[in-house]
Amino acid sequence: MSTRQGFLERRYFLLRRLHSLTGIVPIGLFLIMHLTTNSSIVWGMMNKRADHSAHAVSERGVATFQEEVNWINGLPAILLIEIVLWLSIAFHAVFGVYYARTGRFNTDRYRYQDNWRYMLQRITGYIALLFIFYHVATLRWGWSWLVPGGTTWDHAYASSTLAAALRGSADGNVTIGGVLVSLFYVLGVTSSVFHFANGLWTAAITWGITISVQAQRRWGMVCLGLGTGLMAMAWASIIGFATLDPRKAQIVEERMLGTHAPPAPEATPPPAESPPEP
Amino acid sequence: MSAQPSASRTPPIAGRRIRIKVKRADGPGKPSRWEEFEVQPEPNANIISVLQQIAANPVTAEGDHTSPVAWDSGCLEEVCGACTMVINGRVRQSCSCLIDDIAPAPGDVITLEPMEKFPVVRDLWVDRARLFHNLKRVKAWVPIDGTYSLGHGPTESAAQQAVRYVLSTCMSCGCCLEACPQFTLEDDETRWDTTFIGAHAISQARLFNMHETGRQTKADRLDALLGPGGVSDCGNAQNCVKVCPKEIPLTESIAAIGRATTLHAIAQWFSGR
Repeated sequence: MSTRQGFLERRYFLLRRLHSLTGIVPIGLFLIMHLTTNSSIVWGMMNKRADHSAHAVSERGVATFQEEVNWINGLPAILLIEIVLWLSIAFHAVFGVYYARTGRFNTDRYRYQDNWRYMLQRITGYIALLFIFYHVATLRWGWSWLVPGGTTWDHAYASSTLAAALRGSADGNVTIGGVLVSLFYVLGVTSSVFHFANGLWTAAITWGITISVQAQRRWGMVCLGLGTGLMAMAWASIIGFATLDPRKAQIVEERMLGTHAPPAPEATPPPAESPPEP
Repeated sequence: MSAQPSASRTPPIAGRRIRIKVKRADGPGKPSRWEEFEVQPEPNANIISVLQQIAANPVTAEGDHTSPVAWDSGCLEEVCGACTMVINGRVRQSCSCLIDDIAPAPGDVITLEPMEKFPVVRDLWVDRARLFHNLKRVKAWVPIDGTYSLGHGPTESAAQQAVRYVLSTCMSCGCCLEACPQFTLEDDETRWDTTFIGAHAISQARLFNMHETGRQTKADRLDALLGPGGVSDCGNAQNCVKVCPKEIPLTESIAAIGRATTLHAIAQWFSGR
């Protein structure tokens, strides 16, 4: 016990800076890529180079997202990248909670915008931790018992199975459970984006990059711009998938599997929530 | 930012009676209670002179006889920091807080509380020993003691003087610590060396690291700020700079020390032992 405390104290500065660094690379960098990919359900509608089988504008969103997911799944050592991400998030979360507990909010007395952001940074950190755990557990690790409709995510059916998770049903309906999941997603991604953008602002002070008040304000505008853009992508993703009919999306996905992938046994949709063939 | 009266303030009404609500405690660790006093402040009175009025006639607004309210003060011109307390929920010096500014109308109420980040000695008087202890942690002085004369120090540039002058106006009052969400009351003195050091000590480390002779012990100061309770424990709430009565750019000092510790740690990693 004493040796471990000794280690934490001797390596205190390194651990604090690693906590700051992991929030930006890899976690923040991944957040930008992830939101870019997910919002392709919306911006993909403008993608004229989407899979040629996608004729309607809404089908282009589904096709583009599927192409993005296929590209990611084709990356070398994808599991290694994932494990590095999970470990980074776990490290950032464990130390973040530990550090957050050393302070005490006082926005009741000192109602400054910076002080509110100090409090929000910690609260959004807790929310983001819960959300990311739920998100990864249900959609990546397949803990379908945590999904209201009991559906699982399948990378070959990326849009339809994601829409099913957000709607609580794969049959084109929206359930109460699905609405709750979608609202939790809105809260979770909003918290994550705020936490990243504000964390990027404070990190520049922590590392001593922005020193003068003016420099901190200028960098604040950059972070505000980045945060606004990411927030737009985050909300567009949720709206795009929550309003998507999983049955229609699956038609596009099956066409893409038929034209672009050799028929593979694992390419069949999960039987429990598979919608009827068109 | 500090106790300047605003141009648009309400003109004070002469001869008015106002209420002073004081959070009191009889001694260290004793329970606190509220007592209210009614006073007729003199023109241009400050909190201290109202407390003197109460001390001369320690009777509460309800007519109960009580003990005089204890407070700490020194210079009475906002340069010693001793009379710092929480006035209407905001930390500031009671000497430079004028009654005409904050209670201009009859029946106005002023609440006085001791700072909550330091142990109470009695009533509004707190023990700020930890604040000075934290200055020792970063060796906030210039090392000139020795067995022979060191001669004249190196000349300092005017540009550097301009940066350092405002840092040197710190009076160790404790406002930045009282408003800081990362600095909390710590009764256990053995934990003082590993809990957050505070904006004042970080800024003083910067002041003496920039001093031509003081920079000889720069590494010692940075080493102290690398450990638990050092500069990394700052949470960037930035309340410190907003409550500082001397308008010291504390958040710039924190960022400057952040940069110095980053470079110091990298240098240590590559060339240290």
